[in-house]
Amino acid sequence: MTKRGGALPLPGRMSVMKGTKVAYFFLLPALLYVLFFGLYPLLYNVSLSLRDVTFITYIQGTARFVGFGNYRELFANPIFQRTFSNTLLFTGLSILFQFTIGFLLALLFNRSFPLKGVLQSLIMVPWVLPIIVSGSFFRWFFSDNGMLNGFLLAFRLIERPIPWITSGHLPIFSVTMANIWLGIPFNFVLLYTGLQGIPEELLESAEIDGATGWQKVRFIITPLLRPVILATLTLGCIFTVKVFDLVWIITQGGPGDVSHLFSTLSYSLAFNKLHFGKASAVLIVMVLVVALLTALLNLFQREV
Amino acid sequence: MRWYRLLGIVVLLGFFLAAFGGAYAQKVTVTIQDYFDPAGGMAKFVDRWAEEYMKKNPDVEVKHVYIPFAQLLPTILQQALTGTLPEVVMADNPWVPNLIKAGVYLDITDKVKEWGWENWEDFFKGHRDLTSVDGKIYAFQVTTNNLALFYRKSLLEKAGIPEPPKTWAELKEVSAKIKEALGIYGFGFCATASEEGTWQFEPFLWSNGGSLLELDQKEAVEALSFLVEMVEKGYTPRDVVNVSGQGDVTQWFINGEVAMMENGNWEFGWHLTPDVLEKLGDVGVAALPVPKEGAKPIVPFGGECYGIGANTKDPKKLAVAWEFLSFIASADGMLAANLEHGGLPTRASAAEKIAAQKPILAPFLEQARYALPRPLVGGFEKYPDVSSTVWTAMQRALTGMKTPEEALKEAAEAIRGLFSPEEYEAYRKQARELIAAAAQ
Repeated sequence: MTKRGGALPLPGRMSVMKGTKVAYFFLLPALLYVLFFGLYPLLYNVSLSLRDVTFITYIQGTARFVGFGNYRELFANPIFQRTFSNTLLFTGLSILFQFTIGFLLALLFNRSFPLKGVLQSLIMVPWVLPIIVSGSFFRWFFSDNGMLNGFLLAFRLIERPIPWITSGHLPIFSVTMANIWLGIPFNFVLLYTGLQGIPEELLESAEIDGATGWQKVRFIITPLLRPVILATLTLGCIFTVKVFDLVWIITQGGPGDVSHLFSTLSYSLAFNKLHFGKASAVLIVMVLVVALLTALLNLFQREV
Repeated sequence: MRWYRLLGIVVLLGFFLAAFGGAYAQKVTVTIQDYFDPAGGMAKFVDRWAEEYMKKNPDVEVKHVYIPFAQLLPTILQQALTGTLPEVVMADNPWVPNLIKAGVYLDITDKVKEWGWENWEDFFKGHRDLTSVDGKIYAFQVTTNNLALFYRKSLLEKAGIPEPPKTWAELKEVSAKIKEALGIYGFGFCATASEEGTWQFEPFLWSNGGSLLELDQKEAVEALSFLVEMVEKGYTPRDVVNVSGQGDVTQWFINGEVAMMENGNWEFGWHLTPDVLEKLGDVGVAALPVPKEGAKPIVPFGGECYGIGANTKDPKKLAVAWEFLSFIASADGMLAANLEHGGLPTRASAAEKIAAQKPILAPFLEQARYALPRPLVGGFEKYPDVSSTVWTAMQRALTGMKTPEEALKEAAEAIRGLFSPEEYEAYRKQARELIAAAAQ
């Protein structure tokens, strides 16, 4: 703005001030939007999380201020502890596999081969399907009498059905597998688009110099893709930590509360138990975790 | 800035709004708010009443507003906070004690007295207990449902079983025979992580003399152990913990994957519609199996209540709302509504009439006489907490994470921790009394 302003005749100090005012005026809609739809709900959530808000106290307006009581109770609660580790496990494994598979697929599709277009659109299928459809499918896929067990039994790989979503330890891994499947297209698309921005000549000259495929990936593609990779990971983290619908449809956080993520636990606290205060506290913890992860990834970005 | 132009527009806008607002103000608007599927029988019944009422009273506008089930409670919450409750507020019955306590409903005791006390006494006791506090009436439950045993006659016959099981032992025996003869599951129920899971467990608990507030007692452990055994022996699919709801179990039943199931009468208006029943041709209903020969199947009741919103001050609006309420709660109104809805009436006189018209409902109607209100036997407004503790324990036991004893002991401790010692003792006694009264 200053550069362009320099080229124009400047009638004096006053009008510069006026110009700034007008700029603020134009910012107003965006500012109001952020205030009302971003900041206000967030602060309201914070205030709910510090009070003992249940159905009756909410309506009667008699919710006591309990300070960090809700948070203390949560961190002492084994279900919340489990949820915390579940969310980290879910996010870590999801990102690791989604990203690796997405990256490999992007490398594969970066060269031409027959039926490429068809296969490329097939990869996008998980993304196009509504989650209610894929979620319901996975619920049946993982169930005791479902497709996965049916397949494994038919090939005599197992003798008894594996309780993918009907046991104490497996459900969180099962929903993570489902989420990995769902997230591959997202990673693929971003990385593939980024790959196409890398000039062909660079790779060709490297080849002439005798670079192997791995060396090309390691020394040319990865450094050049760095901004795209970081953006993919950041967005991936944000999206994954707050996944709700998939887990809710497959296990509802169960059986016996073993597969909750922050989001499903919060929902179940709010709408099954009517503890709005505790539910908000869970959400605030979730927001903090997302913020922390994003900040960490940003740190990487600056270190280039 | 041409500020005066802006001013002009604002003034003009205000003028229009005032004009339209004025046109509306001449009519009295009364809103009936509920979650009944707009294409379903109950919604159509209410719509028809509204239409006829408006024809007779052109100065009244009756609006029937549909809010999806999952949003109704948050909506009522919001309306109560902002003082914008509609004139007629519907709620699912377990919420009602909470809503009464929160002051959502208007006290209608005087209106009921004017209308005739015999109408109130015609309601089954459970429903009266639920919608009144200390002798004051706040709402009417207009439709109810409960759980019974659905069975496929032809599948039972193929396994050489002439009659549906009456006791737990028989249920186990029949399931074993079905598994052996047909290779399918004998019995399906719903143990999902929601109120539906707890509600399907309650008949087993209560029929065995157990209580939600004393889960570490032997009656409760026996009940849960029975269900766990059904799953472990392969008579019931372990997937019951992950079904999305009771409707999924009906789907298994229709597909012939389970020969019997615990389910509710609403299925006759949902999955087991007359055409489906005709196609299957072999669906029967019996009372839920009981622990011992001669015991009574004690089930929880479901169903919805209508009451008047606490913000209804205008006497004209109040009169219209009461007109609706006293119609749908009258013996004839309730009978007609439930015939169309596929539900059970909550008044003795209407229940008798519907039994004659729909014989398949007989086991449900019999159980409805002494069915229990969930919040009143489950810690009143703490019922949502109690219920979620119960379904969690149930899921842990059914998946083998914990034994029934361990899971229920944990649950019992958690539930005791929800109340002060005096509160707990009072609710425990109340639950005991209600369960004992139902068993007689």
